[in-house]
Amino acid sequence: MQKDRLISRDFLLFGLLGLLAILLFILDIFFGSLLIPFKTILQVLAGIGDVNPEIKSIVLDFRLPKAITAVMAGMALSISGLQMQTIFRNPLAGPFVLGISAGASLGVAILVLGFSSVFTLGLFTISGSWALVIVAWLGSALVLFLILAVSIRIKDILTILILGMLFGSASGALVNILQYFSNESMLKSFVIWTMGSLGSVTKSQLNVLIPSVMIGLVLSFFSVKSLDVMLLGEQYAKSMGLRVRNARFLVFTSTSILAGSITAFCGPIGFIGIAVPHIGRLLFKTARHKILIPSSLLIGSIVMLLSDIVSQMPGYESTLPINSVTALVGIPVIIWIILKNRKFSSV
Amino acid sequence: MSNEQVNITVRNLSVGYKKGKNFVAIKEGINVNAHSGELIALIGSNGIGKSTLLRTLTGFQKALGGEILFNDRKLGNFSIRELARVLSFVSTEAIRVQNLRVWELLAMGRYPYTNIMGTLTDEDNRIIQRAIQQVGLAGYEDRMIDQISDGERQRAMIARTLVQDTPLIILDEPTAFLDIRNKYEIIHLLHDFVKTENKTVLFSTHDLNISTSEVDKIWLMLDDKVVEGAPEDLILAGNFDQMFHSDKVYFNGESGDFMLRKNVIGTYTLIGSEGKIFNWTCRALQRIGLVYAETDPLVVINIPNMEENPVWKVEINSKEKLEIYSLYELTAELYKRLSGL
Repeated sequence: MQKDRLISRDFLLFGLLGLLAILLFILDIFFGSLLIPFKTILQVLAGIGDVNPEIKSIVLDFRLPKAITAVMAGMALSISGLQMQTIFRNPLAGPFVLGISAGASLGVAILVLGFSSVFTLGLFTISGSWALVIVAWLGSALVLFLILAVSIRIKDILTILILGMLFGSASGALVNILQYFSNESMLKSFVIWTMGSLGSVTKSQLNVLIPSVMIGLVLSFFSVKSLDVMLLGEQYAKSMGLRVRNARFLVFTSTSILAGSITAFCGPIGFIGIAVPHIGRLLFKTARHKILIPSSLLIGSIVMLLSDIVSQMPGYESTLPINSVTALVGIPVIIWIILKNRKFSSV
Repeated sequence: MSNEQVNITVRNLSVGYKKGKNFVAIKEGINVNAHSGELIALIGSNGIGKSTLLRTLTGFQKALGGEILFNDRKLGNFSIRELARVLSFVSTEAIRVQNLRVWELLAMGRYPYTNIMGTLTDEDNRIIQRAIQQVGLAGYEDRMIDQISDGERQRAMIARTLVQDTPLIILDEPTAFLDIRNKYEIIHLLHDFVKTENKTVLFSTHDLNISTSEVDKIWLMLDDKVVEGAPEDLILAGNFDQMFHSDKVYFNGESGDFMLRKNVIGTYTLIGSEGKIFNWTCRALQRIGLVYAETDPLVVINIPNMEENPVWKVEINSKEKLEIYSLYELTAELYKRLSGL
């Protein structure tokens, strides 16, 4: 028996999810305030035919970067959520609830409000973007390691979640205080940052966002095997030969980079990180990261693209904030997890 | 399967925990041994340090003094990776991971042997399949571990140690939370592969009766020392009596189990042939606090000689005579009459 190989059902699911992701990617480019014929969009994407340069610019400079950002955000947040759920052995862990996104915001706030001179360079230069993303990583990492330090002493998972929320609130409070003491021009650039969304990511920022997310994802691929054994807890992982501290450091680095990068450019986006891994588990009925990581990548992209399409409100001029849409998508999944766990613990 | 064998030597070991900057020793001067092909039970009352000793032996916490040798090599000289090929471990904590199949749990046991992506070879698959058969979980490969019984999950955890293919297996209370049938089956399972695979298996337990009938050796943790020996050696030396300082509980050297002390309400003698009915009548009488006496018994009972529709003829204090049809009635009648005397 070769149970290790992917069964045909898994292949079929991956194929369908892949197709759905591609379809939604094209649809996401198609929908926007200006109606562009589908054929024209395909022509622009393929680089053939004679297309009005303005239309070409809308597609290539605005809609394509936005769709790519949606895919990046979906992948990064889902993988960071998956990693947190495994490390903390908590189905409700995710970058948003653990305060990791808030930590990233704090990093950005300190940079933007504390060192305005950097920002005379502007948010939109490459060096400004890298500075932004690196402080977001550091902010995320700070919160993560605080939670880790506490989790060594306190094993109760609910306590850790609550502490995560407290760290998040504390970061938020510090950001508010920083805002209070900063001058008008600093405040202005910070407020612009807080209004960040998928659509605000420019082509040049993508040059920073894409490699950042790729680094985080590559690190998570190296954790495939150790994440599996960490499901059983630290003692078992150690007894099977895992150097727990190193493995955890790798996972935390990956999570900080993934959650930090997205928060740096798109602002905090909630609930994707918690919800998507569970959809993956539900579809593939497995706990192995060899399958959960690729499935979270695909489902994360799909959910984010879908949320973006919904937030465009096809047919209307205005757009909804992406964070509200992801909350409405993610919260039912979370309620389902809570109900399911309650049932389980009472058996 | 590895044919490597591991003998454990524990010399003058102190175990304990770190409190602030100080080390608090729970148990000092532990000297015990274990050899391959031995099933060993670690027995001791709650809080005496069984888990601490096991955690020290598995390398999860540091010894406060003394040394632990696996085949003459110090435990501290093994890297985590090397240790994972020497010993595997099952904790008391129940694993409740959702969406984890039995087969996937077992596959984790190959962790010390697989490549960075955890790819399983044909050999790995064969080892996993064999372990599933050995613990009697064939057909359970695709079941989720949070949807099988406690006994089945414990088997799966034990199968995972077989998959990890270590000469030494340490289990912390593997029979806790199990019903009596599963307790026996789990211990029997351990006994089986100690003998067939020549492994060394050490487990802590409170199930004295089961372990004394299956294990090769007991490490008994007492208040002031740790003694080791065959279960029978320890019983004969009276070591189990020292486990509790209690006037309510005592160790019955005949039955090999702990018993509650009763208030004596009288003496009895049985007349009749020894057999099943004879033995169980004794048990029933002892249960209500009657003790056996050859001379001048308070109660004389004629044991029925047939198993169908038995009748116990009872004479109390050489006066009152009763005919009784069940042991329930017998104990009730005697208790009513004698406890009030």
